[in-house]
Amino acid sequence: MSADLKTRVQELIDSMINPAVAGHGGFVELIDVQDNRVYLQMGGGCQGCGAADITLKSGIERLIKEEIPEVAEVLDTTDHAAGANPYYTPGKA
Amino acid sequence: MPTSPSRLLLLLPTTTYRTEAFVDAASKLGVDLVCASERPSSLQALVPESLVTLDFKDPGASAETIARFARRRPIDAVVAVDDLTTVVAAAISERLGLKANSLPAAAAARDKLTMRRSLASAGVPVPRFRLVELADDPAEHAEAVEYPCVLKPLTLSASRGVIRANDAREFVAAFRRISAILEQGDAAPVGEARRALLVEEFVPGREVAMEGLLVGGTLHVLALFDKPDPLDGPFFEETIYVTPSRLPGPLQDRIAAVTRDACSALGLTEGPIHAELRINDRGPFVLEVAARSIGGLCARTLRFGTGLSLEELILCHALGRPLESLERERRAAGVMMIPIPRGGRLVGVRGAEEAAAVDAIEEVAITMHPGQEVVPLPEGWQYLGFIFARAETSAAVEGALREAHARLHFEIE
Repeated sequence: MSADLKTRVQELIDSMINPAVAGHGGFVELIDVQDNRVYLQMGGGCQGCGAADITLKSGIERLIKEEIPEVAEVLDTTDHAAGANPYYTPGKA
Repeated sequence: MPTSPSRLLLLLPTTTYRTEAFVDAASKLGVDLVCASERPSSLQALVPESLVTLDFKDPGASAETIARFARRRPIDAVVAVDDLTTVVAAAISERLGLKANSLPAAAAARDKLTMRRSLASAGVPVPRFRLVELADDPAEHAEAVEYPCVLKPLTLSASRGVIRANDAREFVAAFRRISAILEQGDAAPVGEARRALLVEEFVPGREVAMEGLLVGGTLHVLALFDKPDPLDGPFFEETIYVTPSRLPGPLQDRIAAVTRDACSALGLTEGPIHAELRINDRGPFVLEVAARSIGGLCARTLRFGTGLSLEELILCHALGRPLESLERERRAAGVMMIPIPRGGRLVGVRGAEEAAAVDAIEEVAITMHPGQEVVPLPEGWQYLGFIFARAETSAAVEGALREAHARLHFEIE
């Protein structure tokens, strides 16, 4: 069940999510799926990006839940502080 | 806490520090979140029901875009996370008929000249001020103003472009420097804010910041922060904020009363406010009341009731949910916005673990990344990062922040 879920999430990342975030120089890696929770790592332009949480929660999580309703949550395991080339850089606006 | 389905529009500039905190808060509250930014998300085409692009410089067009969106997916509340989006939030709320600050009130709080005029005409103490057109000869104005004075752009934030001048020569230099900042693409204000700047009396004294929440026109004080480092210029880089304030109780009451008067004069009625005041023997002077919460990552210092974050409070209020508690935790808390010692390119940071090991330090967050261009004030508007502390007393918090900062070493070349 979990292996099947992992495969489906991976297919979604490969077919839809990564081609889209590549437009901002980013990529997403599936780390694991446990108890219907998906653990991801973000890289490239997504790592340290000021909009990474928007991408994750309003983009990736929403998309995965729509396509694979049994997914309960998508969690980010990225070390964003180590991001060397974020697409958007925060400042005190 | 009620869990009725509700949809919230967050206005998140791509440059804001606040995204993580507000998105987390929305997630904890079980809100159906729609995120709008001024530049498109890479996933917008795949998830158009939750990702929207708006021109934050055009509140009317943004309101129209969201009105069309809301016909398909009704919006229950709109929240601006920082200065860039407060007017847009008011315009959208007005268009959708949502309870929020009126558009004129939000606009008055966003523009320093309109704010000064509104406050002065209502008898709220503000520094003496005048408008100076950038097309004018600065040397002429330099002869007409009193010194020391402070020159500042009408709409920029985070002390960007704010410069003290002690004489005519410094006035002209500051005028030219601010003109150049306003020409930079990322600053780029619109309308009068691009054509003029504010010149005001320098008010000596200590500075405080008040965090509040307006509910139906009533201001609830959430926290009063002392700023223990002197802010005397020539630039006004903020460093340490500590709460609770160590000022005498009656003076704190007076600060709250003046801030209430300021909110009332501006017509602000709903949502968070962040006010900055100068205090001296003439009493409190209002420097600014912004219709948004505290900037940067500084809200991490605040916890309410059973551990609610400031962002959760703001979203609950916007959605009309009951507010569990507006009382801040008992312990003292503080933040240091790590100042930029000089311009250049950030190569690396040493001492972060040693800084985090200082007693009472909760977190050392370095927000600039290696290789990033580091721009000090008055041109810059970012910080190297933030240090957070929590302890039994405000003095202990301040001491811990200073000790942690002393252990950090930034390599900039």
